[in-house]
Order: sequence, then structure tokens, then C-alpha cells
Amino acid sequence: MSGTTGPTGPTRRPEHLGTAPEPGAPAWRTLDNRSLAASSVLSLAIAVPVTLAVLRFANGQHWPMSWVVAACAAALVLVIVAVLTYDLLRLRTTTWRLTAERLELRSGIAVRQHRSIPRDRVRSVDLKADPVRRVLGLSVVKVGTGEHNAGGDSTLTLDPLSRTEAEHLRGVLLHSGHQAAEGTAAEQGPLSSFDWSWTRFAPLTVWSFIGAALVVGIVSKPLGWLGVDLWDNAVREAAWNWLTADPWLRVPLILLANVLLGVVGAAVVFAVQWGNYRLEQEPGRLKLSRGLLTTRSLTMEERRLRGVELSEPLLARLGGAARLKVVATGLKRKAEENETAEDLSALTPPLPRADAVRLADRLTGGPLPRLHPHPPAARAKRVRMSLVEVAVVVAALAAADWLWLPSWVWAALIAYVPFTLWHARADYRALGNALAPRHLVTRMGVSNLRTVALERKGIIGWEIKQSYFQRRLGLITVRATTAAGAGHYDVVDVGQDDGLELAGEAVPGLLEPFVVR
Amino acid sequence: MTTLRPPRNQVDPRAVAWWTTERLILSVIVVGVAFAAYWFFTDRPWWLTLLVAALAVFCFVMSFVGPRMLYRFQRWEVTEEAVYTRKGWFEQTWRVAPMSRIQTVDTKRGPLQRVFGLADVKVTTASASGAIAIEALDADLAADLAARLTAITQATPGDAT
Repeated sequence: MSGTTGPTGPTRRPEHLGTAPEPGAPAWRTLDNRSLAASSVLSLAIAVPVTLAVLRFANGQHWPMSWVVAACAAALVLVIVAVLTYDLLRLRTTTWRLTAERLELRSGIAVRQHRSIPRDRVRSVDLKADPVRRVLGLSVVKVGTGEHNAGGDSTLTLDPLSRTEAEHLRGVLLHSGHQAAEGTAAEQGPLSSFDWSWTRFAPLTVWSFIGAALVVGIVSKPLGWLGVDLWDNAVREAAWNWLTADPWLRVPLILLANVLLGVVGAAVVFAVQWGNYRLEQEPGRLKLSRGLLTTRSLTMEERRLRGVELSEPLLARLGGAARLKVVATGLKRKAEENETAEDLSALTPPLPRADAVRLADRLTGGPLPRLHPHPPAARAKRVRMSLVEVAVVVAALAAADWLWLPSWVWAALIAYVPFTLWHARADYRALGNALAPRHLVTRMGVSNLRTVALERKGIIGWEIKQSYFQRRLGLITVRATTAAGAGHYDVVDVGQDDGLELAGEAVPGLLEPFVVR
Repeated sequence: MTTLRPPRNQVDPRAVAWWTTERLILSVIVVGVAFAAYWFFTDRPWWLTLLVAALAVFCFVMSFVGPRMLYRFQRWEVTEEAVYTRKGWFEQTWRVAPMSRIQTVDTKRGPLQRVFGLADVKVTTASASGAIAIEALDADLAADLAARLTAITQATPGDAT
């Protein structure tokens, strides 16, 4: 194997990656050997806990000090050597090459694999570097076709290449379709880039209130295995005594500390995830890079884009923030493979609403139109439903337990009535729809107000629903189905005439033959 | 008021017999289990007797009424441009898929359907929101329809997304 690959390491230049036709196929190339350094550092993440566990075990055995030290050292060395051996074998057995037509990868220590992707099918190239790999100048490259047909995995992973090599590979793979593209992107500047003032939106989630308590709960588990019990009786008793000594001061104090920690934590997580954020438009695709420690950079072809979604969760909305997501094909099932959907469809961190709207306008090619409100009958329906809901709960409680139900339950129910009425009205106010030259726009939701602009060309069918109650109120729910994003986007409780009109206009010729006026 | 017209075709009349048989079988199982539990595990108070009897009557009445309702409201149509279906009474659902976006066409026959000579045609698009089903067609008609749909969709250009 080594005979075919030639020297490796940082001195290797990526020139011969290019498309220039060479006599015969280009040589097979190896991954970057500095991966060994990265994996030895990363192996500490396994080695240290293992050593601690060994230490704890050895302490219980009444061994002499030197034995304990020896056992710990042996465990440490063993883990690191095992990881390094595996990585060395992996590096030795993995080769790749870029020919004029295909990107090919040979890999596998025991089971050999030979996989290849046609270059004209490459739709995304993602670069990722955790802090260790970053310091060493390495990047993990994932090349995807954006197709999810039978045959499963459609991504090739090169783990790792040197950063220059990775950047070059991305350029070559994605630019082959757009030769004249190189210079123009830089001139335009990014569509959007990181602003430290956005950090103020980071704590506007529920996690700020429950995050700190949750983290303590999660961390106490592994600490328990290592023999540190946060919740032993003495600690618990001391905490309880401290708390009950002056509950009116100390309970709020604890809650305040919890929120404070949550807020700081949220801000830190936000900065780590989204620091250095940049969204750039290059001809035919979008490039998103982000991450303060682990840097990620995702490139997506614009022809997979079917629209955008402006998402305003309740707390963020109160703070004037919004975030933008893409509605794109091929993302959802990719998310099921290994990463979270959030990660892939998110186009921006929470940012000022006006900025998000401006960005949405640019991506959809024109200002989004004013939304039409839905008929008042939709509000009446919601108010009625919420009252029925309360009535059912009351009836059920009364029937089940009417003799000795404490009175505060009834008080709570009475307090619930204004909330549910508010919710019904807010839910109604959220509704809206409009038709833009290229997009169908719909809005709904209270806890997460979502405005979706779905490209009309991306609508691949209609599903129109009308329940008995809707029929009586002259309302209808129009669902546009699409290959992208959530699979369907709904215009809920629109007036029957308007809804059918909207669907008819959005995709000319599809619904019209079936509509009677 | 603007409305959607009903699709032209009804499902095969044998569908009523099929659905009735299916629901009767289900009813016998449900009522049987309920009756067994009533007989062996309770003291058989009078109100429970009434309840079980009411359940039995309800199940058997619905086995006859339900399929006839379904038959009235379930309709379908295939034009040169699109597949169009309607179903449901309490919640009516109309579905339209254009030929150019159809990805696969399947037919499906359950064991009981085979007894009545029926088949379903299922049309999928690239959307994750599910396939359009035309239920309970005559088996030969379903096969013809599937063949026709396949031919039309293959002749239509585009990648259906």
C-alpha cells in the first residue's frame, strides 16, 4: 500500500488535485498523518476516566502505593496505545483520489470498502474541525450528494485532511460546475455575519430557567460512579437546614442563582456554537461557517432550496429576536442519519428580527408581502374550543372526585380560563397567508411563531381538509405538500373561498379543474 | 361559495361488502373480549350488563352503517394532469397530486380484499406527508390504472421534487 501513496504530511501540496488531465489516473493519496497527534490528545477523553476508575478500584484493594501508581499508568498507556494503533491502522488502510469524473475512497481495516461519488453529483462539502484538529491545521471533510435513494449512505468522509488541502478540495469539487465563479463571491461580502450584540438573545429560551438544574442533575450521575456523591445524607441535610433557616430570602436566592447560571451558560453555548458565524452567497450555493472552538462550514447548493422559515419562539419574540431556517430537499433524512435537524436547517443564530427579515427577503428574491388575516370565524372556533376544553376538565374532575377535591384545584382552574382565552386569541392572531410572486407564505403558532415562504414551484400537491366544525364556519385548511423540509406546510383555518383561491393561484392549473364556483 | 367538486368515480360497490366483513370480524373480537372479561372477572352488576350490551349493539350497527357512509364519501378521479381523491365525512380530505410529481405507483391486495376481488392503488410523491391511496377498486381496474399512471409519469419530464 505504501508504495502507491508517496510521502505524506504537511509538506504535501494540493496542486495535483486539480482537474488537469494527467496521463493515466491520478495516484491514490493518504489522509494526513497528523491525525495521530489529534487522536492521542483526544484519547485522553477516554483514558482519564478509565484511569480514575482504576484508581478508585485500586484504592479499595489495600495495595502499596507503587502498585496503585503502576496500575494507573498502565491503564493510561494502554488506552492511548490502543487508540493510536487503531488510528495508525486506519490511516494506513485509507486512501482516496480525485479523478476527472469521480471522488473515490478505499477504506476499512478488516472489511475493505471501495466507494466513489461522481463529481457532478456532489451537492455539499462540509468542513469540520474541533479545537485539537484546528490547532494542528486539520479538517474533517464530508462530501455529500444530497441524494437519499436506496443504497443508503451517500456521504464520503475524509478524516482528516490538512486545512489547505480540504479548502482546495472543496473549491475543486464545487467549482467545477461554475468556472467563472472564483472572484465574485468575495466582492459581494457575506449575507450575514456574527455580531457579539446578538448574544443578548441567547438566554431567551426555557433552557435558561431549567438548564443549570438539569446540568447539575446530569453531572451528578457520572460523578457518582467515580465515588463522589453530591446527594449523600449529610449534604442533603445541611442544604435543607440552610434553606429552611430563612426560606423567604434563600429560596428566591437559589432560584436567582439558577437563572443567572442558566443565562451565562446559554450565552457561552451560543458564543461557542455561533462565534465567527458567516453566511455567504456564492454563485449557485450558500456557504455557512460558524463555531468558536469547533469550526464548521457547510456548503449547500441553492437548487435544493425551496424556501425559508422565519422562526420566532415566544421568549425570543418578546425580545425582538428571530432566526432563519432553510426549507430544502435532502436535509431531513440526512438529519436522521447522524446529526440533528436543527444543525442542518438553521441558517442563522437568533438575531434581530429586522435583520432576519432582510435576509429572508434577499434569499427569496423580494420583500415578503403583507399577510392577510384569517376570518374572525377562526377566532370564534379557537375560543369555543378552549372553553369546551375547560368544561370537559371541570366535568371530569367533578365526576371523578367531587367530594374531597381541595378548593385550590378550582382556583387553579379559574386562573386557567384567562390563559386559555389569551392562547386562543394569540393563536388566531398568528394566522396569516399571502402569495408572493414566487412564494406561498403562511404563518402560525403561539409558542413558536413560524412564517414559512415556500417556493410555489416546490409545491408537489395539495391536501385540503375540512372538518364538520370548519364546514359550518366556512373555514378550510389548505396543506401544500413538498419534497423539502417538513414535507408539508399548512394554511390553517383560512376562509373557504380565499383558501381555494390561494391554492388555485399558487400553482396554476393544478387545482382549478376541480373547483366549482 | 367556492367549493371542490366531488371526484367523478366511486369505489367498487363490492367495497361495502369487504368493509362490512372486515368490521364484523373486528367487532366479534372486541365484543368477545369485553364479554369474556365481564363474565369471568366481575360480579355482573346490572349496569355493566347494560354497558356490554350497548357496546355489542353499537359495534354491530356501526359495522353496517360505517361502510355505507365510507362508500358514499370516498371518491377518486384520474385526469391527464392529476390524481384527485376525496374521503371522510366528519373531516373531509381532498388530495391532488400532479402527474409530473408522482414518483411511484403501487397496487396492494390484502387477503380479505382478494376474496372480494378488490385492490388498492397507492401513489407516492417526494413529499414526506404520505401517499395518496385509492382504496377498494376492482382488481383488474386497479392493475390497468397503475399501468396507465406509470406510463404517464414516465412520459413526464422532471425529477419530481
